[in-house]
Order: sequence, then structure tokens, then C-alpha cells
Amino acid sequence: MTAFRLAAGGLVDRSQTVPFSFDGARLSGHAGDTLASALLANDRLLVGRSFKYHRPRGIVTAGPAEPNALVTVGSGARRDPNTKATVAELYDGLTATSQNRWPSLSWDIGAVNNLMSRFLSAGFYYKTFMWPAAFWEKVYEPLIRHAAGLGRTDLPRDPDGYEKSWAHCDLLVVGSGPAGLAAALVAARSGLRVILAEQDFALGGALLSETTRLDGEPPVVFARRVIEELQANPNVTLLARTTVFGWYDDNVFGAVERVQKHSAVVDAARPVERLWRIVAKHAVLATGAEERPLVFGGNDRPGVMTASAVSAYANRFGVAVGKSVAVFTNGSSGYRTARDLTSQGIEIAAVIDTRTNAADTAPDGVRLIRGGSVVDTKGRQRLRAIVTDRGGFEELLACDAVAMSGGWSPVIHLACQRGGKPVWSEALQAFMAPEVGAGLVIAGAAAGHYRLSECVEDGARKASAVVEALGHSVAGFDRPAVGEEVDPSFTALWHVPGAKSKAFVDFQNDVHTKDLGLAVREGFGHVEHAKRYTTGGMATDQGKLGNINAIGILAAMRGVSPADVGTTTFRPFYTPVSFGALAGTSVDEHAMPTRRSPLHGWAARNGAVFIDAGLWYRSSWFPKEGEKTWRDSVDREVRTVRENAGLCDVSTLGKIEVFGPDAAEFLNRLYCNPVLKLPIGKARYGLMLREDGMVYDDGTVSRLGEAHFLVTTTTAMAGGVLSHMEFATQVLWPDLRVRFLSVSDQWAQMSIAGPKARTILQAVVEDDLSDAAVPFLAAREVRLKGNLKARLFRISFSGELAYELAVPAGHGEAAADALMRAGQPHGLCAYGVEALNVLRIEKGHVTHAELDGRVTPDDAGLGRMMGSAKHDFIGKRLSTRFGLTAADRAQLVGLKALEADKDFRAGAHLLKDGAKPSTLNDQGWVSSACFSPTLGGHIALAFLKSGRERYGEKIVVWDQLRGVETMAEVCNPVFVDPENRKLMA
Amino acid sequence: MAYDYQAVHALDGTIGAISERRANHLAVHRATAIAVVLAAPGQTAEAAGILVANGEFEARFSGPGEWLILSEVHAPETLCAELSVRLGDFAFVIDQSHGRVALTLAGPDAARILANGIAIDLHADVFPVGRAANVLCNHLSVNLARTAADSFDLVVMRSFAEALVDDLKTMARSHELSVDFATR
Repeated sequence: MTAFRLAAGGLVDRSQTVPFSFDGARLSGHAGDTLASALLANDRLLVGRSFKYHRPRGIVTAGPAEPNALVTVGSGARRDPNTKATVAELYDGLTATSQNRWPSLSWDIGAVNNLMSRFLSAGFYYKTFMWPAAFWEKVYEPLIRHAAGLGRTDLPRDPDGYEKSWAHCDLLVVGSGPAGLAAALVAARSGLRVILAEQDFALGGALLSETTRLDGEPPVVFARRVIEELQANPNVTLLARTTVFGWYDDNVFGAVERVQKHSAVVDAARPVERLWRIVAKHAVLATGAEERPLVFGGNDRPGVMTASAVSAYANRFGVAVGKSVAVFTNGSSGYRTARDLTSQGIEIAAVIDTRTNAADTAPDGVRLIRGGSVVDTKGRQRLRAIVTDRGGFEELLACDAVAMSGGWSPVIHLACQRGGKPVWSEALQAFMAPEVGAGLVIAGAAAGHYRLSECVEDGARKASAVVEALGHSVAGFDRPAVGEEVDPSFTALWHVPGAKSKAFVDFQNDVHTKDLGLAVREGFGHVEHAKRYTTGGMATDQGKLGNINAIGILAAMRGVSPADVGTTTFRPFYTPVSFGALAGTSVDEHAMPTRRSPLHGWAARNGAVFIDAGLWYRSSWFPKEGEKTWRDSVDREVRTVRENAGLCDVSTLGKIEVFGPDAAEFLNRLYCNPVLKLPIGKARYGLMLREDGMVYDDGTVSRLGEAHFLVTTTTAMAGGVLSHMEFATQVLWPDLRVRFLSVSDQWAQMSIAGPKARTILQAVVEDDLSDAAVPFLAAREVRLKGNLKARLFRISFSGELAYELAVPAGHGEAAADALMRAGQPHGLCAYGVEALNVLRIEKGHVTHAELDGRVTPDDAGLGRMMGSAKHDFIGKRLSTRFGLTAADRAQLVGLKALEADKDFRAGAHLLKDGAKPSTLNDQGWVSSACFSPTLGGHIALAFLKSGRERYGEKIVVWDQLRGVETMAEVCNPVFVDPENRKLMA
Repeated sequence: MAYDYQAVHALDGTIGAISERRANHLAVHRATAIAVVLAAPGQTAEAAGILVANGEFEARFSGPGEWLILSEVHAPETLCAELSVRLGDFAFVIDQSHGRVALTLAGPDAARILANGIAIDLHADVFPVGRAANVLCNHLSVNLARTAADSFDLVVMRSFAEALVDDLKTMARSHELSVDFATR
């Protein structure tokens, strides 16, 4: 046994035993443990296998930068792969399993990769597995993918809920160590709204594992006092278990709170994770500093850890990582760990200092090797001994743990996520955060102030500046008296020379010094190239621990300063965030809102089959008893409309009312056809173009008063047209006196179409509906019997005598019911959008199936609508471009199938009869197709080169997807009533 | 044939009866008359001056020169007639009584519930009683107004009303919430 729980000490609650399991073994820890500290207390040094070589790996850190101790927590649908044991809070019933090993952690077949490592150097997959080419996709890649990788995800549906919330504050403090607490306290006392976020489950940061006294007491006592005061302040929100992962525009920070990740039993009423978007006027980044590992031979053996982690396990968790610990350091921090351990009665095998002339002194009785180094480690799945080297003299030193300290790197990720590049500090031998403006300032160790007193002072000072900037007066804060401090200065050492075995730089992706050397030799010395070539810094830890050493090594190999090498790019997220948290509640039916037509209830009562149409549910068809297929229903509905009448819900069309003395002029410029002289009480078909001359949308324009219009849009473009109009008034013509409002939801609108439409409607409407009183394209207010005001438009999409009746939405169902009753003796039926589509294809009317953004008015056969006499309208200028007026453009035509048993599908291509089926011979495409019950055959609308000159020609409709060719005759797209007799009846 | 155009509310049939109100309550207003007033170009100040709240209606900002007018006193037609008389040529009045649905979310957690879908700062110093804004609530555009320290009105397009109530229930998952039609 080597690692063990100390008899006393630490912040864990020894009165509470917490059972958990690791790889099936039942173990126990205490409340306040992380999974890592509990594993160490149970002497579980081996916790995982490395990515590439499957080398045995142990815990390296005590925080979120952990590269090795990745485990899968939970099982089944609640399986969380790649959980860092060093931040996972221990809870009753936690089950953890190790990853990337088979069949077991201690006996892993994949470890054969380690023996073959000379063939698996950086970029090996670019050089090997080249032949035969087909093998890459079928054999090599699946094999590599199987062998590599970390945790595996599971496909069962996530049973848990997630949530996304907004928060606002004057000051966001990221990190609750000495600088963060001081900053939050000063800001809170000064009356600011403060949010303090801490990724750990306990607030206090470094104070939780610090031994230097504050006001004569352990630092945790000071921390608790401050936290209690903050908790009592209603302006302060304390968010523990919350990682601030990203800094975005407008000083918005993304953070993820692990609400129920520390419990085996999940309360379904609460989210397991909550994604915060924190809008902060100011933020203080008090994220501390990360201790660097040293790059020496065998530095990945389980038992080798950072010195600060060794101290944290002893001081915070009451766990000794070994019985005899060697300290390997390039600075003063190692000596602090040595003192921490000796004060707990843990033996120090030796302190090996790479510096020759350091002033630091080892604790009494501890052997100090100055100017020495560690060149190798011994042991298999745990450390047994190290090989030290001093002046060429090697010595085997028995120990069961190494506390390594390679200096410090400020944690500056957030400050560099919006383009600012880290700045190299020669004095601190570290990359520092750039100046990023007043919204985000860095405090404490993250700003290179490593002493405890400096951290407190810097946090208070930075918060005071924010308080003043916001116009408040700074409240008092008595700095605590700080006991004997450590100055953690160090002499940077990027890699330890003389390594006898692999010296790892990036533990998680198995990148060692030789890989970096290869990258430089092969011309990939640029830091971004080296990253991709070696995969260093590309693992789930994104090089939090290893990147700085990789940069130092690259600098040394290239003979330049780390400043010249620079860093790779910092991007969100700081640590991985689950997809569940990012999606929040926007899943299932909440992924998109649904819109309900005011006639939904009417349609449902009449047996409608509904279809998603954008956000809307629209009625597709209304099956009757005995109808076996949708075609049976649709054909019957079409025939009923042509012979009697039908009622269709058209409420989903966009409706916009336009007001103002310049309303007519505004619409005249918006539509390509003339609108200016539209008489009051009349409607007109309107075509809107984009600036590039292509059709944007179509609809109707009705003039309800001299300065009052109602325009309709297609369902799909209702929002787009409104935005287009806003743009036109705000940007293009701000001088026009016009106002408008979407009234789409105010009205339930139904189309009554068919030869008996007038008779049926007249039964319900008080006003005279004769052709003289309400001629084609009339638009007027009417009163329904029973005294309901309505709007009536005599417009038709089907080619039949047709009206659209609009009533206030809430009255829609009752009005539709009244019409159905009135229509019953006349054979009226409800019809859906499928029949609507057939009716309009038969009449040659276009929809967005035709107006797909590539079509000009002339292409669609609407060229005569263009108001060429108009001074200007959107799309006018570019409509005269050469390509848009070419004679061989595809033009709208009709197609009739010449083979009764063959249909058309939209998207099929048109070919000349006898031409080889190939897109090289493409003559056009089918835009809409249907079976026409009226004509008794399959018909289509299509775009054909110079189509209007080719009526009567036989052409091939080539459907490559289905492998079908159908002969068709080109014809006028208006199949039904081209003389408009029915329309005008 | 008798013609009776009984009005159907957008949420009829989707809100079940409740046995008791809970700490937070979402009340759906069945009979609020709602109009939108668009100030005539250049007449925003004049229109605003006329629209100061009184016992008959409340005016809520819903865009530059644009207000939502809510009235529990007037019927839709009389509200529009009243507004048209008062505003004359200064503005255009459009009845939206059927186009929008008004809801009131009240309770100690009201602001916290809304923060699960609405991005604006709802602190009482920033968004005080009487303030209104057009906001996104998750995917939906709503007009939000603070009516008391712990009470907010939401006005949403009719076709989205059901989706909004569903969303609010989800947003309030961790809080006590009941939903019912308002009694007047």
C-alpha cells in the first residue's frame, strides 16, 4: 500500500462515509472528496489508459486540467464518459469505470501499441496505411478508431432535463480563490450586483488547500467568513459547481452549472445541468494559475503528480499520495509541498531541484539534490523508484510518488477567446492575458500575482476600479494579515535533458518530446502546425497542462523565444460542455414552436389529416368513409370544388395592413406591378421581386381606403416579407410616410370556391353578393347574418368562382361551421392543401415550388405584370441584365403525360425526345406535378427552355431518382378554363 | 337558420381545470380588448401624449411609435372607436383583440421563471413596474410588461399562444406553477 487517508486533517467530513464503486470494486470515501481523492485514499493509483499507447496512467492534478484520470461515470442512459475524476464530486452510489482498456484496466491488450511505438510516431497515419487505397476506409480507419479514443458514448435517450437561464450583473467574478473572494466582497459591499462562479463544488479555490494563515487562522476560516457575508447579501449570487466556459460578444459569458451531477437520484423537476448566459457589465477573471508538469523520462508513471496536487490532496482531502514522496522542482513551490507533507508526517525521499543556486531550504532532515534532475522512473503500474542524475552521476531512489513542479502558468483562457493573443512575459516566464478592455480584467494569480497577500490585494483593487467605473463609492475592506508566504518563483525548464525513456508533453494524446522534434524536422515547427502534426493540445483537455511545455520545447528547438512561437488559438469551451446543456429545453416538441390556425378546431372536427407546414399545422385532406388512399380524398375534394363548392382554411397566409399618405407609393415600389392606381374596394395580384430581379413572393394587394391597404403574402414568406418591408422603410425610403402591422393572427380566413360558392356564401352574408355588387377582385367589408363584421375578397386560386372570407380569429370556427351548414344542401365539402395544390396546378397558378428564387416574372409567364412605365421598384434595374432577358431561358409550361400509367414527380428533368438521359442534355425541370381528376391524367407545371414556343412538342420527363422516363406533351400551363369563364361567373 | 358566432379562445381546450392556485400562477385573459396604435409618421410624441394610461386602457410600448393598448373595460370595437376619436390623425388604430393573447404570470418566482427564456434584465431597478418591451421568450416573440413587483404580463400572437404556455410550463418546471383562465 502506498497512497492512503491520513489519520486527521483536511476538509472532508470524516463522519460521513460515502460508498462508491470503481471498475466494479466497492470502495468508500468521505463527503467532500472528489472521485480522485477517494480513489487515492483507496490506493487506486492506476485509473486509466492513455489514448495511443495504452500506457497505464494515474491522477496528475487535483483540478479541471486533468489529462489522465478520465473515467466513465454512471451507466445506461446516464453514462457520462470522459469525466475528470479530479473534479467529479463523490456521492453515495457513484459508479465509475475506467476507459480505453480491454479486457481490463490492469491487463490491456492495447498496450501492445506501446511496444510498437516506434512505428506509431507523430503523423504515422499520414505515412502508413497508404496501400491499398480502398483499405483506408474499410479496414485501417475503423481499426484505428477502435483502438484509439477515450470514453464511449451511449445512444439511449437521455432521460434527464436541462435548462438554460439568463442572468445579469454589474460584476461577474470567475473563481472563488483569494482574489475572487476579495473582489466579490468589495463589489458586494459597495452595492454592486455580483455573481461569483466557481467550477469546484466547494467555494474557496486555492484557500481550500493553502496552509498560510490569514488573520492568524487557517485560510479556509477566512474563506468561510467571506462566503457567509456574500451569501447574506441579496445582491450576490453564488454559483458553485459552475464553470464559466466562454466569453462572448457584449460581455456575455457562458457558464454551465452542474445542478444534479453529484447525486445518484435525479429529481425530475429540476435540470441536471443548467446553462447560464451571464450578461455582465464587468467581469473579474480570478481563475488562478496552473502548475506545470516537468517533462522527464517516465513522467507518466502512475504516482507522478504536480506538487500543488500533492499538497491539495494532503491539505484539503487528508490524503497522502504516497508513503515516500520525491519532490522534483525548478522553483520554490516544490519546497512548499515538501513542507506540507513533512508537517503531515509523510516522508520525503528527496527534493531534487534543477537549479544549482536556489536560496530555498528543504525541511529539516530532508535530502536536497541541487542541480539535479530525474531522468527515468521505475515500476509498472505504479511508481517504485526514480533515477536521478546530477552531473552525470545517476542514482536509483526508491519512492512511491513524485511531486513535480515546473513553474506556473496563469489561467487566462477566457480573456483570449475573443481574438486577443496571449502576451509572453519574460519576467514571469509565462503567457499573460492581453489587454482586452474594461469589460474583463484579470486578478490574482491569473494576472501573475502569485503570493497570497498579492492575490487578496489585487482582487480588491480590481473590484474597486469596477465599483468606481460604475459610479458607486468603494466600501471598506480590511485586508487580512497574511502569515509566512511562499514566493513561487522558478527557473523555466521546458524539458529535462537526458531522459532514459519517453518524456511526455501531452499526457492525454501521448505526445512526447521526440514527436515535437519530428514535427520541427519535417517542417511543422509553427505552433499551429505542430499541434495538428503531433496532436499535442488536441485532446479533451486542450493542452491545459502540456501546451506551455510544447511551446517551450519548440522554441528551444527552433532557437527562438516562446514569445516568437506563440500559442495556439484559445476558443470556447474552457472544459467540455454536454450537448444536453447546450440544447436546454429546446428538444422534442420544444425544438420548434407550433402555430395553430384559428380554424384548427373546425378542421379537426371535419376529420382533417394535418401536415407540418413550416411551424403551422395545415389540413392536408379530409378523408371520408370508404376512401382508402389520400388520392381518393383529394380527387373527390377537387371534383367537388369544380362541380359544387369547397371550403379551405387559408388563415396561414401572411396579412399585413399598410397605412399612411405614402402607402400607395410604398407598395408601388415594393411590387413589380403597378399598385398606385388600385381603386378603393379592389384587390390585385401582386408580385414582389428581389433586388436581383428574381421573384421574391406573391400575394394580393387590397385597397381598403385611400391610405389603407391590406397585403397578403404566402404562408412561408409572411415573416420574410414583413422584414423586407421594414428594411425598405427604414433603410431604402425613410422619407415615405408609411406604417404597417402584421395582422395575420387577427383573422380566420377561409376560401369558398366553386360554381355554387356565391349561393352558399349569400346564405350567410347580409350584403348583396351579386356579380354587379361584388365583381371579380372586389375587396370590401361585409356583415354576416347574426351581425358579425367580416372582410370579403373575390379572389381565386383554383380558377373557380371563389371568395375569401375573413372574420376575427375567435369567430372563425363558428363562421366556418355556419358556411358548412349553409353549403350542405349544395354539396359543399371541406378541402385541404393537397386539393388546393391540384386545383392551382390545373389552373396554372404558381407557388414557391415555381418561384424558387431562380425565376423571373417572365420565366413564370408573368412578364406582362412588370410595370415598365414605373419610375422604379425593387428589382427593376437588375431585371434588364443580359442573362435575365435571354430568349432561351426556361419558361413555365404545362405537361400532360402521354402514358396513362406513368406519373411525374417534381424535380424530374426534361429532355428532348431521343436525347441521351444526361444532365448535359437538360432542357428544364418539373416544378409541380399531380394527378388531375378534372383532366383524368397526370399533369405538371415545368420550366422548359424557350417553353412558350414549344407547345405541342413531345418531350421526355426523366426521373433519374426513380429511373423512370415518361413521354409528355408540352402545353399551355393553364389546363382548366383558360378563358376564365368560371372565374368571372 | 340561427347564426351565433360564439368566440373560441386560442387556449380553449388546452388548459385543464385546476384544483388550486399555486405559488406562481399564469392567468390567461379571455376577454381583454387589445389594439395596436401606430403613430402617424412624425406624430409619435403627440400620440404618446394622448395614450397616457387611464382607467379605461393601458398603453404598452411595443416599438418606436407603436403601442399595444389593453383594456378590460372596453369591447374590441368600442376600444378602437374610443382610441380613434382620441388620436384623430395622430395615429392608426388596428384591432388585435383576436390576434393576440394576453397572459399574466405572477408569483414570487415570476422573474426567475422568465429568466429561463427571456434575455433581458428583469431586475426591478432596470425593468420597473410600467415598463414594457418586445422580447424573445425562447423562440417566441412576446410583449413583456411588468405590472407589479412580482407580476408580468405577456402578450403573444394568437397562433403561438399554446406554444408559449407550453414553454412557460417548462420554464417553471422547478417552480410551483398553476395555469388557468383569469376570472373577471
